[in-house]
Amino acid sequence: MKFIKLAACITSASLLMACGGSSSDNDGITTPAINMEKAQLVLNTNAEIAYAAYTDSVETAKLLQKALENFKDDSSADNLTAAKKAWLVSREPYGQTEVYRFRNSPVDSLDVEGDLNAWPLGEALIDYVNTGNDGDDFDNDQIGVTEHGFGDDITTVIDVTNASTKAANTNTIIGNTDIVIDGTLLAKGLAAKDEHDVISGYHAIEFLLWGQDLNTTDQSTTNGNDRRLAVNATSAGGQRPIEDFNTDAANPESLSARRHQYLAVVVDKLIVDLKKVQAEWATGSTTNYRATFTTLTNAADATQKLTEILTGMGTLSEGELAGERMQIAFSSNSQEDEHSCFSDNTHRDIWLNAEGVSNSFYGSYAGYDSTLNGEDDVTTNAVDGYGIDEYLTEVGLAGVAVETATALTLTEVNYNLIDASARNGVPFDVLIMSPTEESPVAKTIKSLNAQSRLIQDAANQLGLGVVVEEDASDCDTQDPTTEC
Amino acid sequence: MLTGCDQSADQVLQNAAPALSIKEATPGGDTSVSYKPFASFELPAANLPVEARPLFHAGKALAHQPWVKAPTITDTRDGLGPLYNARTCLMCHTKGGKGFIPETNEVPIMGTLVRLSKPGFDKMKGVIPHPVYGDQIQGQSTSLAHQLRHSQKPGSIAHDVAPEAYVYINWQTRTFTYPDQYAVILRKPELDFRNLGYGPFGEDTLFSLRVAPSIHGMGLLELIEQKDIDKLSDLEDGNNDGISGRSNLVWDVEQQKTVAGRFGLKANKASLKMQVAGAFANDVGISNSLFPQQPCSQQQITCNQVTSGNDKNGVEISDHLLDLVTDFNRNLAPVIRRDFNNKEVNQGREYFYQVGCQTCHQPDFKTQDSDEFPHLANQHIWPYSDLLLHDMGPELADGRPDFLATGSEWRTAPLWGVGLQEAVNGSKALLHDGRAETIEEAILWHGGEAELVKSRFIQLPKKERDALIRFVNSL
Repeated sequence: MKFIKLAACITSASLLMACGGSSSDNDGITTPAINMEKAQLVLNTNAEIAYAAYTDSVETAKLLQKALENFKDDSSADNLTAAKKAWLVSREPYGQTEVYRFRNSPVDSLDVEGDLNAWPLGEALIDYVNTGNDGDDFDNDQIGVTEHGFGDDITTVIDVTNASTKAANTNTIIGNTDIVIDGTLLAKGLAAKDEHDVISGYHAIEFLLWGQDLNTTDQSTTNGNDRRLAVNATSAGGQRPIEDFNTDAANPESLSARRHQYLAVVVDKLIVDLKKVQAEWATGSTTNYRATFTTLTNAADATQKLTEILTGMGTLSEGELAGERMQIAFSSNSQEDEHSCFSDNTHRDIWLNAEGVSNSFYGSYAGYDSTLNGEDDVTTNAVDGYGIDEYLTEVGLAGVAVETATALTLTEVNYNLIDASARNGVPFDVLIMSPTEESPVAKTIKSLNAQSRLIQDAANQLGLGVVVEEDASDCDTQDPTTEC
Repeated sequence: MLTGCDQSADQVLQNAAPALSIKEATPGGDTSVSYKPFASFELPAANLPVEARPLFHAGKALAHQPWVKAPTITDTRDGLGPLYNARTCLMCHTKGGKGFIPETNEVPIMGTLVRLSKPGFDKMKGVIPHPVYGDQIQGQSTSLAHQLRHSQKPGSIAHDVAPEAYVYINWQTRTFTYPDQYAVILRKPELDFRNLGYGPFGEDTLFSLRVAPSIHGMGLLELIEQKDIDKLSDLEDGNNDGISGRSNLVWDVEQQKTVAGRFGLKANKASLKMQVAGAFANDVGISNSLFPQQPCSQQQITCNQVTSGNDKNGVEISDHLLDLVTDFNRNLAPVIRRDFNNKEVNQGREYFYQVGCQTCHQPDFKTQDSDEFPHLANQHIWPYSDLLLHDMGPELADGRPDFLATGSEWRTAPLWGVGLQEAVNGSKALLHDGRAETIEEAILWHGGEAELVKSRFIQLPKKERDALIRFVNSL
């Protein structure tokens, strides 16, 4: 049989697999046979990390829920700060789970990812937002909010207690008191196939807690200096005043009470959705996703599942993180084109997503950071298992393992620069205003893309590439998921 | 006219399939991607230069991440609607593949839209838009009453901008029986408009139901030389095969002149950029330099009054970002064939040529030189379409002319990837309005210029029909 290797057909998002498992191709690369025993260890660890990270996501979401309840009971500035901190902490484990996307694992197959983490948020549907005065958004005459107007050109102030303001905002979920804010609102709210809830999930809570980040309004003159005031852990980002939560809060029809109610409903759904995913990764079931994923029937099955892991890693690195979240922010030249735009926490989104890729590669999960100092201090569910690096070495591809590890390390150096910059008062949304090669954002994009290519190369070396057989056969691969 | 079995037998000899080429395994040439581990039509061309890949994904972000109601702080991402069909491109073109159409009349269409117009011809628009509803029904609006329609009591929230209509489908079924008595159930859609937001349509309104087509391989189709398409055109049916394809002649808003159309179900768009820009303006409600209007007619007063997402240049997506999305679409790759060498598949390939499918479903082209997109240039591609208009008969007709295309003319649908459609995103919808759910049903709906070829297919024994279908599914 003559095989034609289609190496050029391999992309990181589409890691390919040979028909028939191990073989040698005519590029002179000898593809190692699948090591079933060790492949099993990779899958077990991969599942273990998923369960641990989703468990930590559920736990931190519950802590967020508790903080929101405290804030509702006592709408003090301190409790608002505590709620913001709980939100930031809840992002720490969740960000590390995103490497489980793009591979038809539960977060995608249960169709909850959009409800958990959709962005951009439809904030104009939820609560008052600034409006331009001539029909254009983000004009020079914005309506700001009380107390925190940093830009000189924020001239109008919303008085949230004013009846006429309330009337003007009847076109929002918070503002229109005829709208019932309960579980149904989100469960059935935008449930049509098209409408992945841009009114639910982490970013809805973020918007309610922080409000719009209105620092600097004229993008063409942004210099970063006027952002510094806003960037410092929990005081970063938007400028929602405490009056949004403590004005007439005892009256259930008040806007403050409705905001508290909205937060309660969103965090409820967040926990329910996270628990659904967590359950699919739990041990002890014979029918959940983990049971299927970790049961290997043959070499082709092992190849498919290793490919799925690598696909998640490669797609998150290149397509989602470097491309759809970072490159577009450069390209669009829009200051708030960032994942966590209300809280200015995007530096952590980047760090945590990239860390998730490393977790999969090394087969380890260090836990999460509950103090927001950059150290993973909650290690209750930490995992130290069998990684892809070890598998590659085991099957004689130590060189590939080292190269990939080197690339991951470079990415780490670069995302640390973004993180350090944000912690020093120059957050992601300021960094993207200077899209130069020297920017840590540009460097991180570049190294993420490089690591994605190495992940794809690792896949190729493992024999996951496609071959087209030139001779006729009766091999039935009409269903692309079947093997022959 | 050619009819009868004897004639058909002659055709068999005339249309023997050419020798199988290994190139057929990669329909997009060097751009082709694999279907492993998951089939997808949203992957970048395999040979897309490394430095262009980040921009591909940046463009994808704008096709993929939701557009939201203005104003928002993410000011390059707002401006949805106020009237719209979907908040993202890839909502309808799910994973780059085909849209969905409801199986029952219990849910309104989503991922599918209805175009409408009045009789007549307009040199620049191709149709006379409906004076109130424009040229397509936007079933969604940014109004809170619409957004929360499933969770709140009807009437509890006042509409600001009402959606134009909720459109439902009533399926009319019938049975088709082959000469060998094998029977297939066919279904045809009937439109059911509910909640008309802006009054009755009026009697002489023309409608056309359209399922969102898959969007891969567009950059390759764009690089086919017009003369190679023109060569296939046979206006007077000089070869007397009953088939007379022709190009649509359409208005190019960038060049400000009439040119041959190539994109769209009736080949009514001159360029890929126009196709993308038109979809942004009308389907998502995102204004741009090619189509700067909001999707509101003069009679839709509130629609014209609500806050837009326009930037300083008066558009909701800048030229730079529109180009990114166009390039994203341009670089979406065709997928490597499955079963390329399977015996039954290749028997089916013989029957495909014998009955004459390839007379319209032109198998291959070579793309031309391109300084701008060298990786797409000089590729041997296998789209299985001549990109020409053909009269498909009264059954498939929508009765709605568009530029030169009559109410019964449609552009030959490319077949590359058709067998992967369901694996990509679960959509079974075939043909312009999704009435066919299998290749076989789609073939049986062919009429007009395709009547003779279809009749030859019908005459084949079932085993041969199945092989032919399997070949099409392998593309």
